[in-house]
Amino acid sequence: MATVQDLPQIRGVKNIPVEEFYSSGHRTCQGCESALVMRLMIKAAGQRTIVLGSTGCMYVANTTYYSTPWVVPWMHTQLGSAGSAATGTAAGLNSMMRKGKMTQEPINVIAFCGDGGGVDMGLSALSAALQHDEYNLLIICYDNESYANTDIQVSGSSPWGANSTFSPPGSEIRNMNTRWKKNMAPMLAVGHPDMKYVATACASYGLDFNNKVRRALTSGGPTFIHCIDPCPKGWDYDPKYSHELGMLAIETGLWIQYEIIDGELTLNGPSRAIAKGIRKRKPVEEYLMRQGRFAHFLPEDIKKFQDKIEETWEKWWIPGLIPITPSQE
Amino acid sequence: MATRAVEVVYRGIFQRTLARNIVRNIVFAARKDGKIGTAFGRYSDSPERNGIPAKQFAIVCDTALELEESLAVYEATNVDVTINVDDAMCKGIESWAWYGLQPINELTNSGGTLIVTSRQDADSLLEDIHQKDTPYDLAIIPSTVSFSGLWVYKDDHTDMRILGTLCKVCPDLVSLEAMLESIQEQTGSGTKVASVQKAFDRTVTRAVEPGEGNTETPFSFDMPGWKTMEEGLVIRALPQGAGYGGGDEGYVPGRSEVFKKWSTRSMRPVINFETCIKCTLCWLQCPDTCFDVTPDGLYDANMESCCGCGVCEAVCPVPDCVTMVSESQFNDNDSQWEAWQKDKDGYNKWMTVLVEKQKSETRTHGFHHVGGYADEINEMEEA
Repeated sequence: MATVQDLPQIRGVKNIPVEEFYSSGHRTCQGCESALVMRLMIKAAGQRTIVLGSTGCMYVANTTYYSTPWVVPWMHTQLGSAGSAATGTAAGLNSMMRKGKMTQEPINVIAFCGDGGGVDMGLSALSAALQHDEYNLLIICYDNESYANTDIQVSGSSPWGANSTFSPPGSEIRNMNTRWKKNMAPMLAVGHPDMKYVATACASYGLDFNNKVRRALTSGGPTFIHCIDPCPKGWDYDPKYSHELGMLAIETGLWIQYEIIDGELTLNGPSRAIAKGIRKRKPVEEYLMRQGRFAHFLPEDIKKFQDKIEETWEKWWIPGLIPITPSQE
Repeated sequence: MATRAVEVVYRGIFQRTLARNIVRNIVFAARKDGKIGTAFGRYSDSPERNGIPAKQFAIVCDTALELEESLAVYEATNVDVTINVDDAMCKGIESWAWYGLQPINELTNSGGTLIVTSRQDADSLLEDIHQKDTPYDLAIIPSTVSFSGLWVYKDDHTDMRILGTLCKVCPDLVSLEAMLESIQEQTGSGTKVASVQKAFDRTVTRAVEPGEGNTETPFSFDMPGWKTMEEGLVIRALPQGAGYGGGDEGYVPGRSEVFKKWSTRSMRPVINFETCIKCTLCWLQCPDTCFDVTPDGLYDANMESCCGCGVCEAVCPVPDCVTMVSESQFNDNDSQWEAWQKDKDGYNKWMTVLVEKQKSETRTHGFHHVGGYADEINEMEEA
């Protein structure tokens, strides 16, 4: 197992480190939740970290000509290459240290990709990276549910029916995107049984996300975190609601918060309360009707969405994760 | 023989449809006058970001040859009319691919016109608008600034009123008759045609003399060219943060020297330090790392880097502790915490007045819920 840094779990928001390693000076949208993912991610990881970013909003909007918001070393890599860059960097550090060209010390390697770069294009590279259990690396997918950087095209992570430049609602066909969102984190967890850690997260729950990053970085192997990021540009809402929409995604049961530590699944936050029956799921209408991308929805579309959520929670083998049912025979 | 150019300066994404409606309708109408033209967005503004200032242009010429000549330059270097659809941008703009602050009237020709949609009067706008050494006219369209989003457009006729005003201030560009005919043809809406006519009739301009306006020099930066870049295209990281005011206590993050982001803002958070419970939420949830931690553990929004998203107001659990206040109320980016430290009673009084005033202002920043825009437009009509 790779050696890891001492990154204890943070107990309470008041103990979140004050130091910033992703600062002002980026040209993201007002209320950009993905920028918040970057900030909280590196806040939890600390200074001895290398960050690698594949093409997407968090590359383009962050590093306009000769400027950067990063305090730590950061490198851009191509759209589908978050996985390869992470493996290469971790392997490079290992051999530099082995050959005595660098001081022996655990250095965090974090690669991030958007849903376009991870869920679509980078899937194979991600998969390869997650097989190398000798490297300690973390891949974070910041999922704003579209190719947001290039002005909102449909990705494999876009929700059913959402408006985008590839799926504008028309008078003949109302819902042009007929695909449901890919079930990304469980796909990686199931497909790579040696992975140490897989989690879903949302930056609206900042402390929870901080701790997930720390748990990933101290697990001593390849790890993956999938974040849902409300996007004021593509989802079309007043930027001040970024935080609230992230919470609504979870409270409606549409996004489920969990960790898989060494193959063991734990739901957390509101998702846990929902699963235990302590809390009721809010109707998804509350979430959908707050976003311009669903403004064309009729009651039947909302019902279809609600039914899908019921199905994930009630019918799936593991609610929200595994859409497979064992045969009754 | 003449070429006329118009620029629309707008908030990225929020006002993209609005800007497109304006420039396209200029060209459609000009064709009715027997002219030829083109409407286009500035390449370097794409991909747009919510709130970051962007531009679209309309060029109208008498002949095709003149149009070709005007398109040989990448974008207009001077315009007959500058249209600013958010008065907060009168303070200057840092566009998405540009460095330094560009005055709103930088491209406005001598004798040209600056059209602004605003609830402010000319004198208070001229406190913000940078001075020029040539005269120009200022036309104000008294209205609440129109914001919507990428997919759902708030059709409050702001575009029509701007087009009507434009016909009045620059008749060489397009005649009112052509505009009315074209709008009828494009939209089929009699009320829109009426809005154009009404705006035309009501237009008042005010002459702005050379040297009149904000006397500050807009900030600018020297960026390295490709010959002076570091080997391997290395860009130096930001410096690490330090204690507040250089002391041991508190924390101020290292910040970019070359991009400030404040010109993206149309509202800013005003903080009540007395009622703050130090819950950390505003600081924690800020995507722009804009809160400085003060030595007494309070959070002071840094006005150079705040882009005015309003998340801090939304997450704050204490009523009226963080309030987003229209940018028109401010003339500087000074620290609120320092002002409060110097004179607590004075600050509290100033803040209470601002917050109360803000409650009567109906400024919205995009889509709230399905049907929300219709309600807002109805309210505007009743008011």
